[in-house]
Amino acid sequence: MFGILKKIFAFAGGKRGLLKKAMGVSLLGALFASLQFLALMLAMDMVVGGAKLTVWPVACIMLVSILGHIACAYYSTNAETDTGYHMAAEKRVHIGDRLRYIPMGYFNDNSLGNITAVVTTTLGDVENTAARCLVMVIGGFLNTLALCLMLLFADWRLGLIAIAGILCYLAVTELSQSATSKTGPARQYIQETLVEKVLEYVQGMGVVKSYGLEKDSGQAVYNTVDDSCQKALALVRSITPWSGIRQITVRIFSVAIVVAALAFYAGGTLSLARCLLMLIASFLIYAELESAGNMSDQLQMLGAAMDKANSIDNTPTMDIDGQEIASSHAFVEFQDVHFAYGDRTILDGISFTIPEKTTTAVVGPSGGGKTTLCNLIARFWDVDDGKILVGGHDVREYKLDSLMKNISMVFQNVYLFNDTIENNIKFGRPSATHEQVMDAAKQACCHDFITALPEGYDTVLGEGGGTLSGGEKQRISIARAIIKDAPMIILDEATASVDPENEVELQTAINALTHDKTIIMIAHRLKTVKDADQILVLDGGHIAQRGTHAELLEQPGLYADFIGLRQEAVGWKLA
Amino acid sequence: MKTKKEPSPFAKLWGWANAYHGGFCGSVVLAVIGVAGTMLAYLCVAAIIRLLLSGGGLRECLPWCGLMLGGYLIKAVFSSLSTGMSHTATYHTLRDLRKSLLSKLSRVPMGTILNTPSGQYKTTIVDRVEGMEPTLAHLIPEMTSNLLVPLTLVISIFVLDWRMGLASLVTTAIGLLIVSQSTKTYAVRWKGAVEVGRRMANAIVEYVGGIQVVKAFSQSAGSYKKYAGAVEDNARYFVDWMHDNQKYMASWQSILPAVLVSVLPTGLLLWNSGSLSAADFLTVIVLSLGLTGPMIAALSFVDELAIVGTNVGEIAGILESPELVRPQQPAKLSGSGVTLKNVSFTYGEVKEEVLHKINLDIHPGTVTALVGPSGSGKSTIAKLIAGFWDVTGGAITLGDVDLQDIPLDQLNRQIAYVAQDNYLFDRTVRDNIRMGRPDAADAEVEAAARAAGCDMFIRALENGYDTVCGEGGGHLSGGERQRISIARAMLKDAPIVILDEATASIDPENEALIQRAISALTKGKTLIVIAHHLGTIAGADTIVVVENGRIAAQGNQAKLLETCPLYAQMWKAYLGTRDAA
Repeated sequence: MFGILKKIFAFAGGKRGLLKKAMGVSLLGALFASLQFLALMLAMDMVVGGAKLTVWPVACIMLVSILGHIACAYYSTNAETDTGYHMAAEKRVHIGDRLRYIPMGYFNDNSLGNITAVVTTTLGDVENTAARCLVMVIGGFLNTLALCLMLLFADWRLGLIAIAGILCYLAVTELSQSATSKTGPARQYIQETLVEKVLEYVQGMGVVKSYGLEKDSGQAVYNTVDDSCQKALALVRSITPWSGIRQITVRIFSVAIVVAALAFYAGGTLSLARCLLMLIASFLIYAELESAGNMSDQLQMLGAAMDKANSIDNTPTMDIDGQEIASSHAFVEFQDVHFAYGDRTILDGISFTIPEKTTTAVVGPSGGGKTTLCNLIARFWDVDDGKILVGGHDVREYKLDSLMKNISMVFQNVYLFNDTIENNIKFGRPSATHEQVMDAAKQACCHDFITALPEGYDTVLGEGGGTLSGGEKQRISIARAIIKDAPMIILDEATASVDPENEVELQTAINALTHDKTIIMIAHRLKTVKDADQILVLDGGHIAQRGTHAELLEQPGLYADFIGLRQEAVGWKLA
Repeated sequence: MKTKKEPSPFAKLWGWANAYHGGFCGSVVLAVIGVAGTMLAYLCVAAIIRLLLSGGGLRECLPWCGLMLGGYLIKAVFSSLSTGMSHTATYHTLRDLRKSLLSKLSRVPMGTILNTPSGQYKTTIVDRVEGMEPTLAHLIPEMTSNLLVPLTLVISIFVLDWRMGLASLVTTAIGLLIVSQSTKTYAVRWKGAVEVGRRMANAIVEYVGGIQVVKAFSQSAGSYKKYAGAVEDNARYFVDWMHDNQKYMASWQSILPAVLVSVLPTGLLLWNSGSLSAADFLTVIVLSLGLTGPMIAALSFVDELAIVGTNVGEIAGILESPELVRPQQPAKLSGSGVTLKNVSFTYGEVKEEVLHKINLDIHPGTVTALVGPSGSGKSTIAKLIAGFWDVTGGAITLGDVDLQDIPLDQLNRQIAYVAQDNYLFDRTVRDNIRMGRPDAADAEVEAAARAAGCDMFIRALENGYDTVCGEGGGHLSGGERQRISIARAMLKDAPIVILDEATASIDPENEALIQRAISALTKGKTLIVIAHHLGTIAGADTIVVVENGRIAAQGNQAKLLETCPLYAQMWKAYLGTRDAA
């Protein structure tokens, strides 16, 4: 139990101070609550011990006890809630930032799904249970402790028995936690499998239906549902006995207090009034400890959730302690670059130079390493061997942000955020003014269609009214790259124009972006390839051919074949 | 019985749990026995107090101590048994509920599924159903037993002395009053919480999904306002809500257990006036202390109660959604001609009609191309023919039979629908292709693969045809996935083939290969094609120009160039972008 509390403290980050204060106030609240023991003691002394009747002090002590407890509970619970939610929020931003320094190679559909699940669901579990666990566990434990102090004060022998009860209870809780420590991760695993299978079932529904495979595919997901039911039950059955054992542990001590009080009374070392007080106290003392113990399953899960969120911090990041380099020249040089994904070699000793303000087109079969080559310049990965120089400096010498100042990228798959058009363009340069945004939009041929929208630049993309055509989205992504105004452009050309009507505007936008810059592009269209200063034909991790369009067309080889295939594709007819 | 009224969420939930009512009732009984065990302990102490006050000694008291321990044992054993039993019933209910949801999905219109993000179905089937667990497994037995038992205690106190009975209820009454205040806004707040959580989840999904762009523009999560803002909004919403709530929570949780505040002074005064014996007074103290534990335990479920409505509503939303109604008996089709008569279509809740009175004849063995600007409705026409939705006006017939009179599996045997991105399952390549015709022999699977131009790359894979495709086909490239899905469609060998922009997202290096595959697939079939490369379909038997949900013109290329200005303009734009060397 304390192990997990410690973990929460470590997790709390900037809120640690607040959490400490909350615990202090919580202790104060527990002392207020235990005052009712004092009131009970006074009442016993009057009723059985023959003390003089004074109702007011008893009533006043009870009132002070209640009001004090309310105030303390209010403060400490608020502080614990603050801690719970804000530590999750901090972690979310922290993970978001951290993702930027993880090599792109780490990301695939699977790991992205996993990260998303951690940042949304797992941290959601943390924020929802952390506050409650803190309140119940800390509050329950401190309340019991305060009552034990009162008991010690009334009769030290019985006080010691009560404290022994707490210690035994903690020991049993520890025992049960280590016995069930696998349940938290096991439960998460069950959920993950279920999510995976349900998603596969839903996403594959189109195929399932059109091929009439309902029975077959249904069976797989039904089996998983059955399985998750069985496993969840098995888990519950392994946990439940422990809650019974915890209950019995404290209750044995309740009975022990009663028996001891009776024995001391019989032996004449305890007055009747005190004896009766102890009988009543035997109920009060462990009530809250028990409710704290009932949280122990949730604590277990909270611990597992925090471990999972922390595990993202353990993913490999690139060495990012580079320097701030203001490069004055935008040329790129590859020196014998090797790169592999795991065992699969992608680039096998690539060397070439891209002079400043020239255009280089990279072509070749898919899987030939074109995208990897471009992404290595932006240091989405680190090379395995060899060097990539930008402006004469190894990309690894730069601070990541400092390197990226030199590079503007346009991706083949346009990715815009579900945000206003203005903010989407500003993503290229957050400090840009509205005028600069408009200027970039004009250059990318976006201004006209943007102002024709009812909300103009404030139109939120992706929601009602914000549906743009593929070509329009493409141009907004170019405006985003234009506003960044970096000396180098990495461009992954769209394979086919999404809507031919917008072709002219798209070309104008690309021209505005690439004017007077160093350009490296993955080219798919013959038009763009033909105009390049240098063409690199990439195949099997090697540069197979290099030269201008005219030069390459004359030699037999991949390039000439590629041109042939393109012409076949363009001339394809279905009927 | 109220017949007309929509049943309450609890009634629905109880209905879903129909098969396990016995288990739930049993768990309630066990829980009641368990709590009664605790009460037995209280009664024992009360008895001991009376013994002591009447001069009894240790010897007389000890049996009561034994009984007290017995009461606690009963509590521990029976509450554990109750929990076990209620969880058995609960997890089986959840299992059945998930199965009903999944099987329901196979009966709702395909279009509805396509138009709903798969994440939403996942949330309902996994998370919302799981959200019922505390309600079913804990609330039912624990809340019931924890409410029943205090009731018996209150009655006992009233029997002893009605004035003390009233005194013991003071804090409970005040506590309940406060609780009822605090829960007033709960449902509204919870809805808001779901909304703010959804916004944050969307922002996170977007940010993580766009990590490439994020890296390229070196924006940090902290500086990208949308991400940081949504995260902060979420935290603040909950903290604000909890703070508001805390005024009530801190009050009732402090007041309700403090029964002594009224019991002690009242008891002292009554005792002093001689109308309450010391033994009765002390008994009342003990019994009233026994009240509070179960009460607080019962009230801790109040939050759950408020959430039930949202969860049940979301699940019922799927379970009660309309299904496509089709006969069981196969229909007698004459040929594979498709006819649309006055077809109109409106999406579910959206009012606006997207297709208006479409009339179209598609003859067997011909090629029909649907062209038009994006959003014109051409893809909707193709999907209606494939039976993704029912038309909202007019009728579509296949082989002279209305689609609504053809069982879905029969229709699906007639039509192969190939879209831009076809889903591959996380099974072997062979299994994925074989889905086209489950009884196909290995040789037939491989023949289809060869015809679709994917035999070569499949053999180059690590385990050839036995290579596992990965989740959603993730281990293969887009072009490879596309060709495998074409092989699958070929194996099916349906008389009608619909290509819905099937080549739009293919990289040019693979385009020619895929085109060859498609030509093989469509040989001799009734072909309906939507393509953005007009060059592809220039030779079609019929080209249908769709604009704003209407057919603007139809005919062959030569005719349309002359008579349809929209088509002529699209053709011109196409020629302008044609990528030739």
